[in-house]
Amino acid sequence: MTRIFKFLIRISSFLSKELTEIFRQPKLILTLVLGPFLIMFLFGLANPGQGRTLRTTFVVTDPNSFQKEIDAFTKSFSSSLVNYVIENDGELALKKLALNQTDMVIIIPDVPLETIQNNQQAEFLVYHNEIDPFQIGYINSVGRIYVDEINRQFLQSMVEQEQGDSASLQSNLEAAIIKTQTLRRAIPSGDVNTATQAADLEKDLTDLHGKLTTFRTLASGVLVRPFSAKISGLSDIQLTVIGFFAPAVIVLLLQHFSITFASLSIVRETRSGIMELFKVAPITAFETLAGKYISYLFFEIILAGIITVLAVWLLKIPILGQLQDYALAVLVLLFTSLGVGFLISLISETDTQAVQYSMLLLLASIFFSGFFLDLRLMKEPITFLAWSLPATYGIRMLQDIILRGSSAPPMIFLGITLIGIVLFLIDWTLLRKKMESQYA
Amino acid sequence: MLSGNVVEAQDLTKKFGDDIAVRSLNMQLPRGVIFGFVGPSGCGKTTTVRLLTGFYKPTSGILNVLGTPPADFSKSDREKIGYLTQQFVLYPNLTVWENLNFAASFYGVSLFRWGRLNKLLDFVELKGDKNKLARDLSGGMKRRLSLAATLVHKPELLFLDEPTAGIDPILRRKFWDYFKELQAEDHTLFITTQYVGEAAFCDLVGVMYKGRLLMIETPDGLRRKAYGGDVIGIRTNEDISSEHRHQLEGLPFVRGKVKIVSDQEVDVIVDDASIAVAVLLEWSQAQKLTVEMMEKKSPPFDDVFVRLIEMEIAND
Repeated sequence: MTRIFKFLIRISSFLSKELTEIFRQPKLILTLVLGPFLIMFLFGLANPGQGRTLRTTFVVTDPNSFQKEIDAFTKSFSSSLVNYVIENDGELALKKLALNQTDMVIIIPDVPLETIQNNQQAEFLVYHNEIDPFQIGYINSVGRIYVDEINRQFLQSMVEQEQGDSASLQSNLEAAIIKTQTLRRAIPSGDVNTATQAADLEKDLTDLHGKLTTFRTLASGVLVRPFSAKISGLSDIQLTVIGFFAPAVIVLLLQHFSITFASLSIVRETRSGIMELFKVAPITAFETLAGKYISYLFFEIILAGIITVLAVWLLKIPILGQLQDYALAVLVLLFTSLGVGFLISLISETDTQAVQYSMLLLLASIFFSGFFLDLRLMKEPITFLAWSLPATYGIRMLQDIILRGSSAPPMIFLGITLIGIVLFLIDWTLLRKKMESQYA
Repeated sequence: MLSGNVVEAQDLTKKFGDDIAVRSLNMQLPRGVIFGFVGPSGCGKTTTVRLLTGFYKPTSGILNVLGTPPADFSKSDREKIGYLTQQFVLYPNLTVWENLNFAASFYGVSLFRWGRLNKLLDFVELKGDKNKLARDLSGGMKRRLSLAATLVHKPELLFLDEPTAGIDPILRRKFWDYFKELQAEDHTLFITTQYVGEAAFCDLVGVMYKGRLLMIETPDGLRRKAYGGDVIGIRTNEDISSEHRHQLEGLPFVRGKVKIVSDQEVDVIVDDASIAVAVLLEWSQAQKLTVEMMEKKSPPFDDVFVRLIEMEIAND
């Protein structure tokens, strides 16, 4: 019995010790519980729950000729789905598409009715500039819906027109019947006027015959789907899901490694007590921070190299852009991520707290960097959160370099560099204060 | 500032909120000495060291270390100071050599330092362990590594915060041998310790109690302060009666009461042992007491320290 009690007492020692230690860290508990919840909550706010707004440019030679159809089409969709403008210059519209000033260009055929009457489908050309397979699928759907709508509109107007035509045809036929009866009664007298009426009748009947011939010779496929759409991207690259996500995964990995390593660096030194030695030694906060940045950058660059080689060789992800652009983008991503890591390290009180903050940042990056949900689908206030993460910039840069073969967008590159520099300055100030805090 | 003093403090006070950690400390520490700073745990020794190294800013008072207030230390001032912290703060995942190399780098020691580092490892007897990870070292080896890291930039003034804490007596003695060697190489050493017995190895000893520096004395001076003079032990073949003791206490150079050790042995506190012994021998002969032993006693510093603290409490 005594042994059982001792056994329970020994267990209870850890029970009380562990719980006391946990509850002595209220900030950690708060971060553990509220952190992921807050991220999920913000993600819920960020997701609009409907398709992305597509800024669409219609290219039509004579805008008035198709205005009715375009209006009807755009009204049939939610106004948030299509924001449209009408251009008559196809090349200009495609340039705008390349510059990301519009999301989709629809080139309307010049003489659709004649084409259809020639027993051919009038083809709409739909262009986009997407690389994300999901977004391409989305645009394909929108394009198909658009053409179906145009077809529906066209068929409706055709039916209405044919109904109008058939009414006049009916009266013509009635008149022809009367003329035929008169003619039948008059022909025996040999009147010239009657002969003329007979000629008119012959013409009317010929017209009617021609229309009927046209109607009968139209292919049923063209009659039912007079318009079709050919959808194509500006780039010829056909990406797999793995291929599309590879740059984002590289960015998330590099950001996470950098942040985790850096976040443990200073907090460990603060805990170990070596900061006391740094304070007394002839070393400055700048020298300390610069040394840490350089060493971690060196290590992370090697890591980035290994990850890139694995992505290219094993996953067969080709880097279409310039290698130096890729290296520069990775360097600035690592620099900024290290800045975030050191900031975490400087504000954390324990290793556990630093790791927790790093994990939360990874979670936030997965949800808000454009990796999981396209940034264009996010609601405005949440995009501020997205653009405060190095991964958001990194993904944009690496996607453009690796998948599009272009260089990093200048504003994106400038943005992440600026954040990196600001973080360095903040870290430097905080470290200086930390190394001098004992003066208080 | 006097040219020979490496530390000068006047009314130096450090407060943490309402708590006074160091109270009106006055100190003048000459160059080239081993200064032992003794006192019980929590008395303010480490806070004083941190004030002297510039880690803490004084709440009030004047402080100059190597002629400069620590708050205004330049890089070159800092290069003249070595600081051994109470805890082992080097990196457990680096080897002995790597840790020493790191310390040399952050003190800005020239890259051609291979010889210097080896010499230091030789000095602290860690040369054979230079490839060992710091986490695999024993407590004593860690302290020796820390000491080597403190010496790596050849500092003029060394602050060693409890360098012998938690290590065995043999290694403690070895450490004091190191300190003597360092003193011989013109280093000034400021050493805090809880082992008051180590005061015997110092040139000067400061006694700290509850944030107050009670005194700075030589080890002998400290004993004299504690006992009010030199202690002479007298052992005779005959019993020493109460009449004899009264007579002894009546002698002009004898201070206070005579302490009875046994029926035939007493301890007498005198102004100056070198003069008093001859007079006491004459007195013994006159009293027909056969002296078996008469010598100046050196009471253990533990007793000295306890007496000093008791005196301080009594004064309070």
